Amino acid sequence: MRPKFFSSMGPSRLAELSIEKVFSRVIAALAVLCLAPALFGQSQTDDSQQPISPVPILSAGLAYNSFFDGGTQNVHPLVSPVVLIPFGQNWLIESRDTFEINLAPVPGMIGYKGYLQKEVDYLQLDYIANAHLTVTVGRFLTPFGVFNERLYPVWIRDLQTDPLILPIATGPSGAGTGAMLRGGFDVARGVEVNYATYFSTLSTDTPLDSQRLAGMRAGIFLPGPRLEFGGSFQHLLQDDRTNAFGFHAAWQPPALPLDIRAEYARSHNGSGYWIESAYRLSQAPVWHDALRHVQAVGRMQQYFAGIVPNANLPTVNTRLFEFGLNYYFRDDLRFVSSYGRQFAPQAGNMNIWNIGITYRFAIPVGHGDIQ
Amino acid sequence: MKSGPLLLAALILAAGLSTLPGFVSAQQGTQQETKVASANDPAPAAAGATGAAASSHSTPSKLQDEDALRIEGEKRFHANCGRCHQAPHKFPPRMMATIVRHMRVRATITDEDMRVILHYMRQ
Repeated sequence: MRPKFFSSMGPSRLAELSIEKVFSRVIAALAVLCLAPALFGQSQTDDSQQPISPVPILSAGLAYNSFFDGGTQNVHPLVSPVVLIPFGQNWLIESRDTFEINLAPVPGMIGYKGYLQKEVDYLQLDYIANAHLTVTVGRFLTPFGVFNERLYPVWIRDLQTDPLILPIATGPSGAGTGAMLRGGFDVARGVEVNYATYFSTLSTDTPLDSQRLAGMRAGIFLPGPRLEFGGSFQHLLQDDRTNAFGFHAAWQPPALPLDIRAEYARSHNGSGYWIESAYRLSQAPVWHDALRHVQAVGRMQQYFAGIVPNANLPTVNTRLFEFGLNYYFRDDLRFVSSYGRQFAPQAGNMNIWNIGITYRFAIPVGHGDIQ
Repeated sequence: MKSGPLLLAALILAAGLSTLPGFVSAQQGTQQETKVASANDPAPAAAGATGAAASSHSTPSKLQDEDALRIEGEKRFHANCGRCHQAPHKFPPRMMATIVRHMRVRATITDEDMRVILHYMRQ
């Protein structure tokens, strides 16, 4: 029985294949087979002479949350893909988009209704000029305080609700469009300074909207006690040209799985603060195997309405106490839950419940290992 | 040319066969190279920070320096990553090189922290 390869050929085609031709082709194929690993080995040897080159990464934070605000349930699925494209020794393109739907019941109708919201959180080109300076152009997260820039992703934040003061000085979308200079460096042994100064231009094109403003943030990080604190300042270069300022602090005592963070912000729209504590029960003396995955979170915040109302901020003085329990299945997958009680005498008090799941993945794009 | 398709098929087959194991070996080579490169590339800067002198020979002092550097890297990894989130598990070296660069911009970690953490994450 002839092999299928030959059976698919007609008699005339077979006649054309003389013994010499077949032999020469087999030799050529074997030569290529033998030569290819050698060639590849040569390139491998060449690669080993080079330092490791970074690989592009696709990452994403995903969340499925259900909120109960004052007895009304909202379902909130969210996907936030992050793309990192490094090139050269000092360049990086990074972007993060958010796609989310806030599904809410409509009175008189069955089921939940909502619409897809799309946002370009950042799309920026970074150039690491030297050990002290990184130049960023494009659309970037406004570096006012630290929550907006570092704690905002759903897989990072310990409580899924936003702090009340988050919209202060971060603009309508939390991002600016323009240029930024930033960096971090050691000023003494065990003392690190970090800074960010930026200029953003006015953009009214959704989802790339931003305000015309300039500002800066500076902070000090003490890696020994793991203590960080700093301040932010911003000047609006449009409308009423007002100023805003704020402070932030964070402490992770090395001996305890404890995170304490706080922020204060003030502008003509309002002022307020939040302080949050998150404790991972990894040192629990009992039920260690189960409790080491559990994180208890508490947050207190207070907001004082300003002279100029803002659509993204509460219109009246508000206090909010929240308590949460998170369960980490892995460092990238967790169950989240929280209960909060909001006190706003002029607008009414209410309970805020939340349960959900958050997940984060990262995979290389191109040559590299899959996580 | 009549021999074209056959030769092309042979080339594709050769490339496919060689790429599959070759890719794995390249990854392994990269991992091995990581350890070698880590002694050459980030170590001097990090060693300067930790007061350790990088040596090209595998002497006991060199091993102690490597241990000290690894411990320092782990410490800085937890100190810097823990500022925002739970410390993640390790990623492959080429991914880690990208993530550390991303974190340098996002969390304004210092150049020295970046090098020491990258060295630790490559172990």
